[in-house]
Amino acid sequence: MADVPDAAQAFRGRSVVSADDFSKEEVLALLDAARAYDPVQRGDAPLPPSLQGRVLGLLFFEPSTRTRLSFESAMLRLGGSVLGFSDARQSSFSKGESLVDTIRVVEGYCDAIVLRHPREGAARLAAEVAGIPILNGGDGSNQHPTQTMLDLYTIREAAGALDGLRVGFMGDLRYGRTVHSLASALLHFDVDLCFIGPENLQLPSDLRDTLKAAGRLGSEVELLSDAGALDVLYMTRIQQERFPDPMDYERVRNAYRVDRAALEPFGPDLKVLHPLPRVNEVATDVDDLPGALYFQQTRNGVTVRMALLDLILGGAS
Amino acid sequence: MSRPPRDFRLLEGTVIDHLPVGTAARALELLGLPRDGPITVGINVLSPRRGKKDIIRVEGLFLEKHELDRLALLGPDITVSIVHDGEVTEKTVLDVPERLIGILTCRNPTCVTNGESIQTVFLRLSGFPYRFQCAYCERVSGVGEVS
Repeated sequence: MADVPDAAQAFRGRSVVSADDFSKEEVLALLDAARAYDPVQRGDAPLPPSLQGRVLGLLFFEPSTRTRLSFESAMLRLGGSVLGFSDARQSSFSKGESLVDTIRVVEGYCDAIVLRHPREGAARLAAEVAGIPILNGGDGSNQHPTQTMLDLYTIREAAGALDGLRVGFMGDLRYGRTVHSLASALLHFDVDLCFIGPENLQLPSDLRDTLKAAGRLGSEVELLSDAGALDVLYMTRIQQERFPDPMDYERVRNAYRVDRAALEPFGPDLKVLHPLPRVNEVATDVDDLPGALYFQQTRNGVTVRMALLDLILGGAS
Repeated sequence: MSRPPRDFRLLEGTVIDHLPVGTAARALELLGLPRDGPITVGINVLSPRRGKKDIIRVEGLFLEKHELDRLALLGPDITVSIVHDGEVTEKTVLDVPERLIGILTCRNPTCVTNGESIQTVFLRLSGFPYRFQCAYCERVSGVGEVS
């Protein structure tokens, strides 16, 4: 396995609750380490089953496709096993068991737990009570740190560096947790930020204050055509349920949709990311552009999660 | 201790001074006052340091740490003096702890602290007016937004 002593030291036995818990050096160490797991970088060479005999618990109290399957894939590819549930109705949660009790029970069955839960702060609480690492697979609208890590990995691999970029976020800036986590993580780097979204879905005030205090709020515009030059465009889905008045949703849904023609002014080097699932906000005619990275992002999810699991569980040391 | 009627001097108890104007009623509510002893409340009292202030004197009351932590949320530089035999024996300028455990309630309805039987933890952010970050859901709130 890759020789990554710094990353191994930084991550071994550690929970991953919030992207904000990691320093720039730790983030970079993870991104460097992840290359060793990248099928492109290693030319599809087989990996040793470094996590053979280890078990990962997948506790998904909310639906998930990419996060759950990519963690499962990552663990299986490293020779480990998984157990868990993908629906709270399959667990004792439906009988009224507390999260704390569920964690204390399941930690006896596995070596680490991936937790997705509808309540914000659930992963922090789980990490406090568990004697094994907890990986936050999304806690309500709060954090999704492994998504942030794979977003950073995708941008860096595609653009060659994180410093010196101008990154635009478009769509639901208010409720999109991937936007919040990534924007916050990008504060580690010399990156210009631009936020493009409807007036009622602008950044939440606390993140806005944080960015402003760091002198990194950048520009906030309502239309993509006002964004100026961009190296990266991070798209998110605008969710209809966020709009009390359906008419308001109808007004904005097509304004925050991009197609090949809308992206033309940004040139061929623009990288387009999206945490997926998409509805109609990225037209399918964008998929063939060399900068359309959203499916690569999902593949990188496995790569980065392999690195993370191997580092946390000690397979990479 | 017996005393003549209309004698409002504090003999054994606590003086809560330099309360921001308008917070005396809230302080009484926070501390669950009145209890047994007599209380004197001054509102809009002239203060050489800050123009005006509120002040509360409570006979027979000595505050616990968690009560002082609550009181400190009302404003900076509130002082609490302990009085024995009519003399101030101890004077403390209240400071809001950097970590408040089990004192505030998170107003975010989907915060895990509102779904599990656990103590809340808030981190005080720098500056005034005070702002607090829930250690679980990470939401930042002002004093008025956390109860």
